[in-house]
Amino acid sequence: MAGKSGRSINNVPESPIKKMLFSWEGILVIVFILVNIFCACFSEFYNLKSLLRQMPVYLAEVFLMLPMAYILVLGEIDISVGSIVCLCATMSCIVCNTGAPFVLVVITALVVGTLCGSVNGFILTRFQELPPMIVTLATQIIFRGIAEIILGSGGSISASNTDGFRLLAGKVGSVPYILFLVVIMAVIFAVILGKSTFGRRVYAIGTNRLTAYYSGIHVQKIRFIIYTVMGTISGLCALFIVSTSYGANTTTGNGFEMDAIAMAVFGGISSTGGKGNLAGGVISAFIIVCLRVGLGQRNVHAQVILLILGLLLIGAVALPNIIGQVKKAMKVKK
Amino acid sequence: MNKKLVSAVLCGTMVLGAACPVFAGVADGKKIALVGKSAGNAFFEIAAASYKETVEAEGGTVDVVYPEAATADAQIKVLDNLISQDYDAICISANDVNALQAKMEEAMDAGIKVSSFDSAPNSDSRQVFVNQAGTVAVGQALMDAVLDIAGGEGQWAILSATSQAANQNAWIDAMKSIMESDEKYSKLELVEVAYGDDEPQKSIDQTSALLENYPDLKVICAPTTVGIAAAAKYLQDNESTCKLTGLGLPSEMIEYTGADDAHSCPYFYLWDMQGLGKLSAYATIALANEEITGALDETFTAGDLGEYTITTADDGGTEIVLGLPLQFNSDNIEEMAKLY
Amino acid sequence: MEKKSIVKKITGSREALLAVILILLFAVVSVISPSFLTVKSVTDMLKNNAVTMIMSLGMLCVMLVGGIDISIMSTLALSGMSIGMLLKYEYISNTVVAFAIALAIGTACGLLVGLVISRADVPPIIATMGFMYVFRAMGYLVSNGGEWASAAALGSFKDFATTKILGLSCVIWVIILCYVVFFFFMKWTRTGRKIYAVGSNANAAEVSGINVRNIKLLVYMIMGFLAGLGGAIQVSVYASAMPDMQLGGEMDVIAACVIGGVSMSGGRGTVLGALLGSLILATIAKALPLVGIDPLAQNTIKGVLILVVVVANVVLQRVADRSALKGREM
Repeated sequence: MAGKSGRSINNVPESPIKKMLFSWEGILVIVFILVNIFCACFSEFYNLKSLLRQMPVYLAEVFLMLPMAYILVLGEIDISVGSIVCLCATMSCIVCNTGAPFVLVVITALVVGTLCGSVNGFILTRFQELPPMIVTLATQIIFRGIAEIILGSGGSISASNTDGFRLLAGKVGSVPYILFLVVIMAVIFAVILGKSTFGRRVYAIGTNRLTAYYSGIHVQKIRFIIYTVMGTISGLCALFIVSTSYGANTTTGNGFEMDAIAMAVFGGISSTGGKGNLAGGVISAFIIVCLRVGLGQRNVHAQVILLILGLLLIGAVALPNIIGQVKKAMKVKK
Repeated sequence: MNKKLVSAVLCGTMVLGAACPVFAGVADGKKIALVGKSAGNAFFEIAAASYKETVEAEGGTVDVVYPEAATADAQIKVLDNLISQDYDAICISANDVNALQAKMEEAMDAGIKVSSFDSAPNSDSRQVFVNQAGTVAVGQALMDAVLDIAGGEGQWAILSATSQAANQNAWIDAMKSIMESDEKYSKLELVEVAYGDDEPQKSIDQTSALLENYPDLKVICAPTTVGIAAAAKYLQDNESTCKLTGLGLPSEMIEYTGADDAHSCPYFYLWDMQGLGKLSAYATIALANEEITGALDETFTAGDLGEYTITTADDGGTEIVLGLPLQFNSDNIEEMAKLY
Repeated sequence: MEKKSIVKKITGSREALLAVILILLFAVVSVISPSFLTVKSVTDMLKNNAVTMIMSLGMLCVMLVGGIDISIMSTLALSGMSIGMLLKYEYISNTVVAFAIALAIGTACGLLVGLVISRADVPPIIATMGFMYVFRAMGYLVSNGGEWASAAALGSFKDFATTKILGLSCVIWVIILCYVVFFFFMKWTRTGRKIYAVGSNANAAEVSGINVRNIKLLVYMIMGFLAGLGGAIQVSVYASAMPDMQLGGEMDVIAACVIGGVSMSGGRGTVLGALLGSLILATIAKALPLVGIDPLAQNTIKGVLILVVVVANVVLQRVADRSALKGREM
């Protein structure tokens, strides 16, 4: 049960090819191809080159989707990640401007992220009664607030030495480093979630926390680790965001949490916990990236793009359910 | 097995995307993109409409593009899109001073001319900036308004938008330095700079706190369109003796403007929004036609607006100043509200 | 004996604990800034937080059945913007008609959200996240690409917020009316009790003959209705309609409910709790600029205070539970 997609079409014949085709991931791959064909026809500028050039900004958000998937599988949510990105970006720019070597800048971002994540984890495990949404809402305000205090009036900082960040934004041929890193990280996260004991335990907690607890799983320890890793990855995301802007400001990372959640959910990871896998999340992330780039290249109004994404999100979850219900109703009639 | 297939299909599709033929149209005239701070900003719409009209009259085309949110992150995505589309020039009103630098440099490297108006990115990120009114001129006008409305002495406060709004901060700094430099402002006391985040709710909380904390407050200066309207309504509804001035849209402020006690705002300022759009359009066209490069002391003709010279901006870059801020009072507001 | 039971009652009730927190908050702020505790200041505060206060009632219902709705501020913007534009272009001028239209749009939005959640079994957070984008985008489209409806364009509609009945602003009467109606609705009507039943145990409710799907549909419609009302109030109070009204404000409403002791997993929460929760948030927002905290630090303090209040609530609850347990052992 665990590891299966959150969504599937009922009553599919059990032949392996058909099974694969009708699984959520299979459908996503088809959607991905369709989206690319659509975009290529829709925008005269849509090609591999422009896609690869525009990708890095979006890929930074894909990083966030990976640990977010774990949190969603737990049946929880973290809406503070955008603010963690903001704080990490701010701190890394400040350290960068002291003239410190770039390694130190990278370490700062990751450490600050880890600290923020562990604050979330600490509060959530110490006071288990508290809903994650409200705790991360409070820390969302706090982390961005701290960044606001640090940035002072003006609320914006520019990295004086951009060499390190330019290096991060570098490319092999026309493929940006970040694409490789996203793929590597996605594989690592997917394997841990899908194949390791740790991953199985995450599913177990998401399916039934009490049962998981009684069967000897350290529920709180696992929750703590996941929220902390979420912070670390936010630090990583912040580094790449700074590498596209050479600076940070009080709005950096605004709304990233929603983008990350949307990618994961569209990929079949259930927000009620216990279901979904990362392959779906990664494919859906690329669908969303391609669609946004394609529509954006024809200057479709930003709000219309959001409208389409909103409908897509609802449709992706609602359609399989409706089809299932219709089929069930027809069966009853027979 | 499943994963292999998935990755194979992924690669295949990418190749397909790359192989798709590129249909490049041959456009007459210049193709220009105008990037706003966010969608749904009445203030920007007015300038954008005039910008578009001007460029189209000159035979070019304009696409007005909005980021999905009023953040620099969202504008970076928009700039990425624009760089892919062979524009001749991009004109932007920046959400952040620093954060656009990487993308603006990329655009300039790709041969796209980059101008800005209303709110400037830093001097490395632009070729030229069209300033609606000189920063010092705005500061001077507002300072004199405060002095006049306060009757020469007393407490006053500033209600700004957000702490990182670059143009707001520049005006506030200008006001502060003007206040210190001249003896005639010595009896004025600036008690606080509050931030209403351009949200009516927060602006009203801040305004009422100012009034309660400083009962003798004589003037609030709000150099932001949302803030001034919210504060004006609050002051007027409460029949406060504290008066208001600042920068606002006439159509938003018409109900609150008047010299008598029944109105909360005796007069306020803004600049010629249509003129701003027009001048920015001509500046962008001149850049695209390589008549100017954005260097100091270059001159160009902006249609019927006349000749303009590029001057030094406060941040070390260059700018073109439209003119002096306009005053709106009970005499002209009816008429101006129809325009913007 | 008598006294002890009262003490027990107070320490045992979530609402009483919240009231204590609220009173403490009021006391601290009034000591630092005496002008806080005046009638004018408090009515100002209520008026300025009317939207959050009214909508937290709807969120209470939604959260009672274990749902959540983050599309509400987009619904508010859509309904508010719609009547703003209708008034601006003089299709309507009557205040009652404007309110009716805003309520109708809000309810229709709520119906749509409710149908997707109750009939297509979409998890609430996902469905409302989608609709958050959809309704907000529709608000922008209605605004004709970014027009504002300003004070002058709203005609007599904006007078609603400034008219006073018996010395209190109409807006405050609306708040009072909503809370009174909901207090009776949730406590003494069949439907109100059904909402609690569905939230406590949906399966048990289903078995006992409650149509769970219809109750779920109903709560989202109530939420939509109140969001529509919020839209009309927002436009009236601030005399201005903009498409980005209350962007991100849904989190304040959710926070108000959670602070007020409404459980996010459903079944637990009261109208009084929602009232206290939204009052605590309103007090924080009003007090921060008043007590002279550096403007740049205000957001951080707000976040810390929210965290402190919810944590304090948990700690006090634990203490209360423990003492209740002790009492039983004895």
